[in-house]
Amino acid sequence: MNNEVYVIGRDSAPQYLRLEAGEERSVTLVFLPGAAGRHVLEVDLVGPGATLDLAGLYLCPDSEQLDLRLLVRHSVGGCVSRQLFKGLVGGTARASFDGLVYVAQDAQKTQAFQENHSILLSDAARVESRPQLEIYADDVQCSHGATTGYLNPDELFYLRSRGIPEAEARRLQMVAFLAPVLRRLPEPLIEEIHACLS
Amino acid sequence: MEEIIKDLAAAQEYKEGFVTEVAQDYAPKGLSEDIIRLISAKKGEPDWLLEFRLDAFRKWQRMRPPYWAHVKLPRIDFQDIIYWAAPKRAEDRPDEIDPALMETFDKLGIPLREREVLAGVKSKSEVAVDAVFDSVSVATTFRKTLSEKGIIFCSFSEAVREHPDLVRKYLATVVPAGDNFYAALNSAVFSDGSFCYVPKGVKCPMELSSYFRINAAGTGQFERTLIVADEGAQLSYMEGCTAPMRDENQLHAAVVEIIVEKDADVKYSTVQNWYPGDAQGRGGILNLVTKRGICKGSGSHLSWTQVETGSAVTWKYPSTILKGDYSSSEFYSVAMTNHYQQADTGTKMIHLGRGTRSRVVSKGISAGHSENSYRGLVHMGPAAEGARNFSQCDSLLIGSLCGAHTFPVIRNMNPKAVVEHEATTSKISEDQLFYCNQRGIAPEDAVALIVGGYAREVLSRLPMEFAVEAQKLLSVSLEGAVG
Repeated sequence: MNNEVYVIGRDSAPQYLRLEAGEERSVTLVFLPGAAGRHVLEVDLVGPGATLDLAGLYLCPDSEQLDLRLLVRHSVGGCVSRQLFKGLVGGTARASFDGLVYVAQDAQKTQAFQENHSILLSDAARVESRPQLEIYADDVQCSHGATTGYLNPDELFYLRSRGIPEAEARRLQMVAFLAPVLRRLPEPLIEEIHACLS
Repeated sequence: MEEIIKDLAAAQEYKEGFVTEVAQDYAPKGLSEDIIRLISAKKGEPDWLLEFRLDAFRKWQRMRPPYWAHVKLPRIDFQDIIYWAAPKRAEDRPDEIDPALMETFDKLGIPLREREVLAGVKSKSEVAVDAVFDSVSVATTFRKTLSEKGIIFCSFSEAVREHPDLVRKYLATVVPAGDNFYAALNSAVFSDGSFCYVPKGVKCPMELSSYFRINAAGTGQFERTLIVADEGAQLSYMEGCTAPMRDENQLHAAVVEIIVEKDADVKYSTVQNWYPGDAQGRGGILNLVTKRGICKGSGSHLSWTQVETGSAVTWKYPSTILKGDYSSSEFYSVAMTNHYQQADTGTKMIHLGRGTRSRVVSKGISAGHSENSYRGLVHMGPAAEGARNFSQCDSLLIGSLCGAHTFPVIRNMNPKAVVEHEATTSKISEDQLFYCNQRGIAPEDAVALIVGGYAREVLSRLPMEFAVEAQKLLSVSLEGAVG
């Protein structure tokens, strides 16, 4: 599956996707520091057997106000959608994630998964997450998960006790947190993100 | 399989759906300041309470009903409701309870007679009951035993008469009069409910319970419950409710406030068994309720457990404000909807103090043409350092015409707080059913078995008396839902 990567603000990212029967799309959205405002993506799965693999990461270290809105609509059965969004929020930034998975009445055998994880890096940072499921078909497998938290001090201690300086250890923790999304990105972009983290 | 579904759909019955024939005293239909003055006068209330009601009414007039819930509410004509209905007391024996009422509560399995306790043998399942019939409390049992320990347990009206200072101190401190449309309405016209105060360091020796019964046609029930657990007190409280079967919708808009002081522990359990409407979605109770507690002092604990099988529309979010440091709260819920029932229910956990903890377990079961939504908020305030929340919301769909939804909101303002939320939606798998069938368990029993297992985590939290009833209720509500 060809993975499409869009850096918001740099590439023109789609706001609407329509997946026909058997179509497979893999899309990754990247919000680098400074990216702000509202971003909307709506996906319609209209043909049986379509697969959507959507991922994203957002880095909001300063005063960004990011508002991410996603709508994935399963109108027919037998489709699969996966979403994974991860973010680091620091400074006085505000990040909000609003994702709705809609499964229509006849969309049996749907599989829809959605995850949103954020890490707060500063006292003034704010995170809001609204993962939502609206389901009208019974033979489905749907789940969502959302977490917000902070960098684990035990992990930090482990790394530091092995002689890794604190700043580097934190960077490693952040890289590890973002890894599931990072691995979908091309090498130059990964390096750019690494540079943002330090 | 389809045939079994049809057979069972016809068998559904609501055994609490009878009407008690009793002479009743009504207020005129409609809502105005005069009606509020009338209700207040009937109850012989002091001026401050009348002012409170009128103030709430003025607020209510300027408010709009909330529209955000995932339910289709029939239009409610607030001028077409009788706001006060009370069974008449026989003039020759004003202190006794009407035998017809006695019989009603007996039929519902609510003991209003304090059974005589044999010398030395104390029955374990003693429960003090406050029974509310339409707009008035008809009896409160075991008051003597409780008052020996300093516990006040009585109807709200009595509390206003006998303990006005306590009521005034705590009333509307958790749910202000203008909190929301239905809470404002309740504050204006509330009739009766229970009041409970457990003093410092007292452990309540028995379960306290309130039983709400709607009987009269064309009325609404607006009960108000206030529970206060002072420092180090401990209390377990249960609430049950039923209503007759009618083709019209009846409104039930209650407010429950719970105040938990330092190190106190309150457990609040509800089995909601209002008339849910018939299989075609006619009639049923509109249950629009505001329940909120506050963990005021450090180390306090409040636990909500609810089993929802009744009411045509449920709009209910028992919430906790975790203000005291290291206070904790739990919310366990099973919401079962069948036929054309709609439920939009969940909780709000508002973490303000440091090190506060909360846990949310919600199990939704939808069948028939019903809609079942979980709606929740977990809020971590800027001072909630080290606070933690875990939420799990599962939905089970039975049949292809129902809906199950999850609408959680997580708001985190503290980099030392952790919130985790997960939700799943699925149906009873063919494999599970096949496994049971193959071992000689009939399909409907198999479904009941699987649902029982699914809801067990919540049911096991209920006090004994309730757990059995809840299990039965679930299987009755499930009838006609096998798919």
